[in-house]
Amino acid sequence: MDQNKIHPDQKYIEGLAANDSVIIEMIYKKYAPKVVLFITNNSGDKDQAQDVIQEIMILLFNQAKANKLQLTCPFDAYFFLLCKRRWLNELKKSSNKGVTIYENVVSSNESAHDLVAQTEEFDEKQQLFDTMFQKLGEKCQEVLKLSFTLKSMEEVAEKLNVTYGYVRKKKSLCVGQLTQWIQEAKNFKSLKNN
Amino acid sequence: MNEERYILFDQYLQGELTVDERSNLEKQLTEDPELASAFESFKEMHFQLDNKFGMETEREAFEENLNRISDKYFQKKKTKVVSLKPWYFAAVASVAIMFGLFFFDYKHYPNFEDYNHPESAYFTERGVSEETLKKAEDNFNGKRYEKAVPLFEAILKENNSEEIKYFYGVSLLQVGKYVKAETIFKELEAGNSVYKEKAKWNLALSKLKQGKYKECQEILQTISQDFEDYDDVEQLLEELN
Repeated sequence: MDQNKIHPDQKYIEGLAANDSVIIEMIYKKYAPKVVLFITNNSGDKDQAQDVIQEIMILLFNQAKANKLQLTCPFDAYFFLLCKRRWLNELKKSSNKGVTIYENVVSSNESAHDLVAQTEEFDEKQQLFDTMFQKLGEKCQEVLKLSFTLKSMEEVAEKLNVTYGYVRKKKSLCVGQLTQWIQEAKNFKSLKNN
Repeated sequence: MNEERYILFDQYLQGELTVDERSNLEKQLTEDPELASAFESFKEMHFQLDNKFGMETEREAFEENLNRISDKYFQKKKTKVVSLKPWYFAAVASVAIMFGLFFFDYKHYPNFEDYNHPESAYFTERGVSEETLKKAEDNFNGKRYEKAVPLFEAILKENNSEEIKYFYGVSLLQVGKYVKAETIFKELEAGNSVYKEKAKWNLALSKLKQGKYKECQEILQTISQDFEDYDDVEQLLEELN
């Protein structure tokens, strides 16, 4: 299959990135019923379905904003599979018992599976990053936050009332600390997989 | 922690190294896989930080908008109570009477074509010859229903899925094979798939196309308000009244 062929449904991804209400409403209207039906048929309720859909929408927004989402399959298949897997994970977390799944939708699509795997990897990386960031000291968090919100390091220095040299060094070392932790996590993961 | 290394990485990314320092680091990166991997992670952290803080305001705006749309979608079934002022009521009534006089004894029936908007098909079934599936999809989306019907029949022999059945039913309706189409829709209606409400809607459309307005109305009244095109259901019911 041609992996580079962008599906016309890419309009939904672009609409999400642009925070376009018409597109967001359309996604709910067209694609939410299938997800709600699946979750309510599988030990969930409407509120839980609402949460799952919302989490996935935010994930898609983040990935679209990072310009890392190019749809090569229908949005329908991709979105449903993401929501379904998210819900199955929720179920696994909340019960140790085996879970029986009732589903009428036998939709399956190679391209959708690949894309879902990419999105889940994006999500994992983001979550790992968030955990690491929370581990940083308060000063580091503050310097990094300002460094990536304000336009220049001079502004950061002024805001924190310290020298330019100090914030530059602090920033490098704080990113360095994150780098080191992420590398350790990666090594641990590859050890586990081997 | 290897402090020097991270300071160097940062200077490199900020474009603050001299030409010599630059090419020196680039050379090291090609020779030392451990250093290269650390550099990749360093860049990845930059990307994540940029992603997290660089668009914080945009993300907040999106989440706020999303919340609003999501709540609206999930609690849409609140019935609106509109209180009419007496004078307004009188005005509406008199306009209605005037219309009544104008169109006395004239009953306008809704038209099938006004409500006939079949969606596009994107089949992703497995275990079926892909070629036939693609042909059926193309013919369906290209509104060549006569051609799509025999293809769907062939597919259904191998794979009796609700999705294929639904699109088969819609094709039958388009070419006016009402009895067969209605049998399919009734089967789907009895099931519990995502096509349940859609099947009812198409059953109603089939009655509409045949001019069986009373039956059409009765079916419409059984459609759940959760149905994605409930606006159409309401509009058609109104026209039938």
